[in-house]
Amino acid sequence: MYANPNSIINPSLWPNGPAPGCFFNFPGTSVTSTSSKSGIITRTQSPVTTGTSILGLVFDGGVMLAGDMLGSYGSMAKFRSIERIIKVNNSTVLGATGDIADFQHLKAIIEQKVIDEDCADDGFTLKPKALHTWLTRVLYNRRSKFDPLWNTFLVAGIEDGEPYLGCVDKIGTAFSDSKIATGYGAHIALPLMREGLEKKPQMTKEEARALLINCLRVLFYRDCRALNKHQIATITKEGVTIENNIELDTNWEVANFVIGYE
Amino acid sequence: MARRYDTRTTIFSPEGRLYQVEYAMEAIGHAGTCLGILASDGIVLAAERRNTNKLLDEVFFSEKIYQLNADMVCSVAGITSDANVLTNELRLISQRYLLQYGESIPCEQLVSWLCDVKQAYTQYGGKRPFGVSLLYAGWDHQYGFQLYQSDPSGNYGGWKATCIGNNSAAAVSMLKQEYKEGETKIDDALALAIRVMSKTMDATKLTPDKLELATLTRHDNKTYIKVLPVAQVKTLIADHEKKEAAEAAKSKPSTAS
Repeated sequence: MYANPNSIINPSLWPNGPAPGCFFNFPGTSVTSTSSKSGIITRTQSPVTTGTSILGLVFDGGVMLAGDMLGSYGSMAKFRSIERIIKVNNSTVLGATGDIADFQHLKAIIEQKVIDEDCADDGFTLKPKALHTWLTRVLYNRRSKFDPLWNTFLVAGIEDGEPYLGCVDKIGTAFSDSKIATGYGAHIALPLMREGLEKKPQMTKEEARALLINCLRVLFYRDCRALNKHQIATITKEGVTIENNIELDTNWEVANFVIGYE
Repeated sequence: MARRYDTRTTIFSPEGRLYQVEYAMEAIGHAGTCLGILASDGIVLAAERRNTNKLLDEVFFSEKIYQLNADMVCSVAGITSDANVLTNELRLISQRYLLQYGESIPCEQLVSWLCDVKQAYTQYGGKRPFGVSLLYAGWDHQYGFQLYQSDPSGNYGGWKATCIGNNSAAAVSMLKQEYKEGETKIDDALALAIRVMSKTMDATKLTPDKLELATLTRHDNKTYIKVLPVAQVKTLIADHEKKEAAEAAKSKPSTAS
């Protein structure tokens, strides 16, 4: 009813303008909003379609990633040709454990990044460590908003001529190592990989492949959410090769000795 | 006449000009000179310091030369307060990239980003353009040493040697004559910078307090950005004056007859 006395005493000196030292918000550009709504909205906290372990191993001259091609819908082995390891560019490969929808969301964003890089045509391409750092920032920021991307990622590639293997989880914990495994692989396969690397720190490509295949076999025996159909990705200075649909021969004769198994 | 079309940045004049952008460049033409020279082993930036008042409390190490990130340095010509906003933003852009990707932003990407912002101020918002031109000197692993220049219109270009600010046209034509591509090392570039600055600066005599010099070089896989100390600038000026005197003596044969 009455005019607000404050607006007369302190008329806005700078209506709709940028704060001094800051930039004007142009229409159509993305604005990082600093105004927060009251409270934090918690979103879905459980994954739906999931992928199990991914294994990563550094050998002499490159890195190798391995994982099965299953998307589990809870306990149902629903999608049996999911590629959980993807090539990003000629020096980088990404593997994902966890929610497949979240992985596919990030996959689309990363693919768009590669296209944008192509368009810029300035000779710069995404390197494995840069992708790892970027992923870490994305995952950590999502977790800080209580809306995580429910995945653990393995980034593998050649960085400045040297093999690189890095891991980030859904809460943004990041590290890099010469041997990493996610999911059940961390408990079952990683000890086998450590043993192999201790015996021979600079493995050849063939030795690394044999070790990973053995780990995949053990995981198929022991992980109830695993499938006997795998992908193996090899990254060397020459480039990236991803083999799909690798099936391993397994021996289930021991099942006869299990009491109650008929 | 054209007065009706020059009060707002966002409109063209009937002759197809953006007056505000041109007036901004005019403002820069009155500012202290800045010059950049690309050498095969580094880059030299030279700047004319205008605030030489003895009462000034030396808060800043450098008046016109700013380090942007580990691998880039810039010098500014124009309205100082506008320049501060832009250099601050350049530093923020660099750090955001470093945080996201764990590596230094490529030089051209940084320049391009800021120029997009500068261009936006000539097309949207009804705000005036920034009255600053910048010279960027940087290194990245793809293209090595690079020198860029940007102006209020948001346009930028890569240069082997260039100049902005007062008397820049004269300086650029001098550089065109004297710059030797492929044969210039950092010391040659420094000497050339002093030679050009002495001709284009208002002062009758070059003194270290009126001139800022910075170099960007690489050793052992690391970039080194150095604003030269007063003593070194003094030495370089002295060398230049000696050379000048020698040349004058050569060209002027003995008049004693």
